[in-house]
Amino acid sequence: MAADPSEPLDPVIHSQARLRIMTTLTALCEGDRITFPKLQQLLDATAGNLSTHLRRLEDAGYVTVTKGHQGRVPSTHIEVTRAGRRAFEDYVAQLQALLTPPAGTPSGVADAAAAREAATEETR
Amino acid sequence: MVTPEPQAHPAAAPAPVPAPVTAPVPAAAPADDDAPDPAAVAALIAAQRERVREATDVDGRLLFGVWGVAWLVGFGAQWTAFLPDPLLPFDTAFVVFGALLVTAMVVTAVHLARQSTGIRGTSAQQGAMYGWTWSLAFFGIFALGFALARAEVGPATTNLVMTVASTLLVGALYMAGGAIWGDRTQFALGAWITGVTAVGAVVGHPHLLLVMAVAGGGGMLAAALAYQVQRSRRPVA
Repeated sequence: MAADPSEPLDPVIHSQARLRIMTTLTALCEGDRITFPKLQQLLDATAGNLSTHLRRLEDAGYVTVTKGHQGRVPSTHIEVTRAGRRAFEDYVAQLQALLTPPAGTPSGVADAAAAREAATEETR
Repeated sequence: MVTPEPQAHPAAAPAPVPAPVTAPVPAAAPADDDAPDPAAVAALIAAQRERVREATDVDGRLLFGVWGVAWLVGFGAQWTAFLPDPLLPFDTAFVVFGALLVTAMVVTAVHLARQSTGIRGTSAQQGAMYGWTWSLAFFGIFALGFALARAEVGPATTNLVMTVASTLLVGALYMAGGAIWGDRTQFALGAWITGVTAVGAVVGHPHLLLVMAVAGGGGMLAAALAYQVQRSRRPVA
């Protein structure tokens, strides 16, 4: 779907903490998963706070959290899902649309409509 | 979908940076759930991406820098030892070369281990396979050295064969690494080293060592510089 500035941004991602989690997970190569401590370190997050936000993302189907064992030590791995990657890409595209001024050529009907819509959005 | 209101005229174009579309967050909301304006969000994403890159990407400046110095000084020292009028005793040159190689290997191993800690999956598997390729191939080079020593072909021939074989392998593995990770700089460096080795082989012993020091080690340092330039040109936001 094309980025539509009039659509509200995905509330699951549109929070500072979850946005940073999703940015980190999507910055990894596809098929890569990260351990909980490494993710925590990359975010400077407390374990409790990170767990809370991961649960929210997991409920939305954006991440998978796998609990396993590395030898005897329990280890947790986090990976972004296909849906999560899609949602993040959509979020970023929408953000770009918001940042790009919808200034159009005066003759461009579509541009004028977009500008009207954005203006409406602002006056709301 | 919002129905355009009559008073909204295209002339009343919105400000370049539209206000966030979400409802204003109450002042009492926790900072974590604060939804900043789009520009701040974009900056946040860029900063976090950069942080992940710093923490997980292999730093070509460091690796090619340390190997470039090892080749430049190490092959240079060997060359001076093999001259008709040696500037360095043979043993000294080899201790210098060996120490530089061990240092570069330790730096590489520590850096790769640090950057890959905590990441599993596709890229970890790819990296492990590539690492094993280097280890096994160089195990074969050591076996070649053993074979040459047993055949008693003499220090000059041994040195020639060992140098050509190992630098060819390095060039080929860099080219393969460039192909695996889509890294043009690494591929170009590999092609350069492979070509330089061919030239050095034709030049012959002992000046082959000077060629490998200057053009080989110099090529690696040039690659390290290229990574630095690429990094400084990276968009900040």
